[in-house]
Amino acid sequence: MTRYIVRRLLWGVLLLIIVSALLFVMFRVFPTADPAKLRAGRLQSQKIIAEIRVNLGLNKPLITQYWIYMKNLVLHFDLGYSYYSNAPVKSLILERLPATVSLVLGGAVVWLVSGLGVGIISALRPRSRLDRFSMGGALVLVSAPEYWLGLILLYVFAADIGQVKIFPGANSYVGLTSDPVKWFTSLILPWLVVAAGNAAIYARLIRGSLIEVLGQDYIRTARAKGLTERRVVLRHGVRSAINPIVTILGLDIGVLLGSSVLVETVFDIPGIGRLNFDAITHSDFPIVQGTVLFAALFIIVANILVDIAYAYLDPRVRYS
Amino acid sequence: MRSLRTITLAALAGVLTLGVAACGSSSSSKSANAGVSAPEGVQTPATESLTGGKKGGTLNVVNHEDFEHIDPGQSYFAIDYQAVYATNRPLYSYKPNSFKEPVPDMAEGPPQVSSDAKTITIHIRHGVHFGPPVNREVTSADVAYALDRGANPNVANPYFEAYFKSLEGFSKANGGPIAGIKTPDKYTIVLKLTEPKAAIAAAALVLPVSAAVPEEYAKKYDAKKPSEYGNFQVATGPYMWKADASGKVLGVGYQPGKSATFVRNPNWSASTDFRPGYLDQINLSIGGDPTVIGRQVLEGSHIVQNDTPAQSIVKLAFEKFRKQLLIAPGSGNRYVALNNSHGPFTNVNLRKAVWAALDREAMDKARGGSLVTIPATHYIYPEVPGFEQAGGVTGPKFDYNEHPQGDPAVAAKYMKLAGYPSGKYTGGKTIQVVGSTGNPASVDAEIVNQTLKNMGFKTKFNLVDQATMYSKFCGVVTEEIDVCPNVGWLADFGDGQAALQVPFDGKYIITNGTNSNWPQSNHPKINKAMEVAENVVGASARAVAWAKIDKELVEEAVAPVWDWDKQPAIESKDVAGVADVWNEAGWDYGFTSLK
Repeated sequence: MTRYIVRRLLWGVLLLIIVSALLFVMFRVFPTADPAKLRAGRLQSQKIIAEIRVNLGLNKPLITQYWIYMKNLVLHFDLGYSYYSNAPVKSLILERLPATVSLVLGGAVVWLVSGLGVGIISALRPRSRLDRFSMGGALVLVSAPEYWLGLILLYVFAADIGQVKIFPGANSYVGLTSDPVKWFTSLILPWLVVAAGNAAIYARLIRGSLIEVLGQDYIRTARAKGLTERRVVLRHGVRSAINPIVTILGLDIGVLLGSSVLVETVFDIPGIGRLNFDAITHSDFPIVQGTVLFAALFIIVANILVDIAYAYLDPRVRYS
Repeated sequence: MRSLRTITLAALAGVLTLGVAACGSSSSSKSANAGVSAPEGVQTPATESLTGGKKGGTLNVVNHEDFEHIDPGQSYFAIDYQAVYATNRPLYSYKPNSFKEPVPDMAEGPPQVSSDAKTITIHIRHGVHFGPPVNREVTSADVAYALDRGANPNVANPYFEAYFKSLEGFSKANGGPIAGIKTPDKYTIVLKLTEPKAAIAAAALVLPVSAAVPEEYAKKYDAKKPSEYGNFQVATGPYMWKADASGKVLGVGYQPGKSATFVRNPNWSASTDFRPGYLDQINLSIGGDPTVIGRQVLEGSHIVQNDTPAQSIVKLAFEKFRKQLLIAPGSGNRYVALNNSHGPFTNVNLRKAVWAALDREAMDKARGGSLVTIPATHYIYPEVPGFEQAGGVTGPKFDYNEHPQGDPAVAAKYMKLAGYPSGKYTGGKTIQVVGSTGNPASVDAEIVNQTLKNMGFKTKFNLVDQATMYSKFCGVVTEEIDVCPNVGWLADFGDGQAALQVPFDGKYIITNGTNSNWPQSNHPKINKAMEVAENVVGASARAVAWAKIDKELVEEAVAPVWDWDKQPAIESKDVAGVADVWNEAGWDYGFTSLK
């Protein structure tokens, strides 16, 4: 097991190096705009642009530029500076990480609890009215775009612009450490939006998987042994049916940590997704590079965690 | 050109005409400036009161866009200026609703220009102090250092060369002292020029590069590549960025992409400033959905939005919250850059044909219609000196700029004159059209592209993001782009030269830098006229001289101009917002108060 984890970690590092190389090629070799001109701003003279090119090291051979880039990244975790604010990209990302983590992990809890709950109940009463209603509802939620759903919730429930003023609206996010209660209430609507689509998918997934598992011989045996239905379903059924959920959960969390831009924008939550989006809008390449690298890191780490979780959940899985 | 910006010096007559036109009465009053005025019930910078505000309170500002550069030596963007002019005092500034002339700010009186127009002498005020952590009186040496920074590549000021290159020693300037900037005493600064260009250099002293910077404090930050002074800046205005004891702003009063906080500058003295400085604090939040932000402002309390509200919000404000809506004219022009130096549009009659065919009214409608646009007929836009002299709204009359909805018959006439008797382009060459993504820019680009196709052109049509459009295509001479439908210009200050020279003078076609003469206009007669007009002294004489050039540009049809922007701004009902007409309706923190 340890050897497996070490090997996966090494693969993860290699993958990150490949991603960083691709990002370097994308933004240094084939940039959509000249980085020196972007850094210089509007109406600049040739002299200033040339000086900036030297300052950014863009006059050096590409291989040297890549070496410096990797050296700074590995030795100092230096992702460069924003073309506009001159702020270090590393600190911009780290400052925004708590907001994104709060949003995604909280959302994940909501979608897991609601999605699994609804899915399990539907699986136990297939083709019942409850099953049809919940699966129909799931279809609606899957089809609802996050941005639209966010706006609707704000216009209905936000304390400032809503019709039924219940929850704090956009731009109300505060850090967990500064005010835990405000942190919690400000994230209720965003969590619902993040969770909506995923909960629906998870409900459908677990329902299908559990119906299949509950038809297996070993479940019949468990019932024949006289185990309670609760124990049969949760201990034997759900534990087997949950493997596909774990796989997709790891990926979903990894992806969302790097790209929850829509929800962050609608609710004005200063997270990594919005940082990335704003940087793309302004061609602020160092930030785009940094956030994409972070997103790749999240996905790789999430994948490794998923693989480890497999071994725990399903003893049949063995790693060599 | 500043993005979303204009500083203007319109004559008082312009303001009076607004009043007449706002009554919407006679056809004679309509003819001169119809469309420039705001609809009834909507505020304009011309009608807002600058005095009598309530002191105290915290204003909340919402922006969906972030600042670009907060260093006064580098900032060149509407939102940046709102912060820069509240925290820094350049030598001269404009009052929010005053178009006529700049007023002395850090300077004590108007600039004294020598008879040969080669020397400018300015006396600065006594008793103005830097905010913490510098806490000492501002001297002329601080203004000199600020101007020296203009040539420092680490600061990368965008306009210094354009307006101050005639300073003695400019060619060797690299951030150190510039030979042509002298400080004979603590309160006097003298600018020595190699050419008689005092008029434009003095006019450009309203730009934030002339705001004092303490050398002993800033030098270590300016030595960094790029300079970090912006993130440690010191205030001279009524407000300062919230900072820690060392003066650090980044991470304290400014969280990029998240928030900014301005507090009172404890060393600011009202007796030295024309700004009342009513507010105690300004909290700025960055980001969010524009429609949500707009509703928060209109339905909330003590909030203003700084950047452009969403079209749907402007409409909502106009219909239901009209008193909370402000419309400022004079917010720049937009034109279609047809390549005058390469390809088929070197033919003047083809350019005229495109101008005639273009449905400029449809393009304006895509931007929000008459509430926020005026179909343009020439390049100097409302509020810039020379606009009236160039013919006002109707402009210099030519058959190809006469019909805003386009005139196929006139277009066909010029196609024939261009050598295409069928009225359709048969040159065979595929022309490259590069526009900007995002609504409404992409819609406007589509209209231009379709117009060209209707005229028989084969087009290769690309939409890219705006930064890429300028830095990779339209601003790169060697790319030889034939048509750029989404370009526009905002004068840096109220002078015809600032509105016309960089975008249309042949000597500003920059092959290796950032070219902003997008049509690559290079017509010897016009270039020569600009050279002469540069040296004209006196506001009214300059207005006439540059209006004449404006007419010549239209006569050459260098670039079909289709819009003069009007800028909307919104505020909560309990905010007495004062917007800067010279800053594209940006709320002025120095004058705004709470009700």
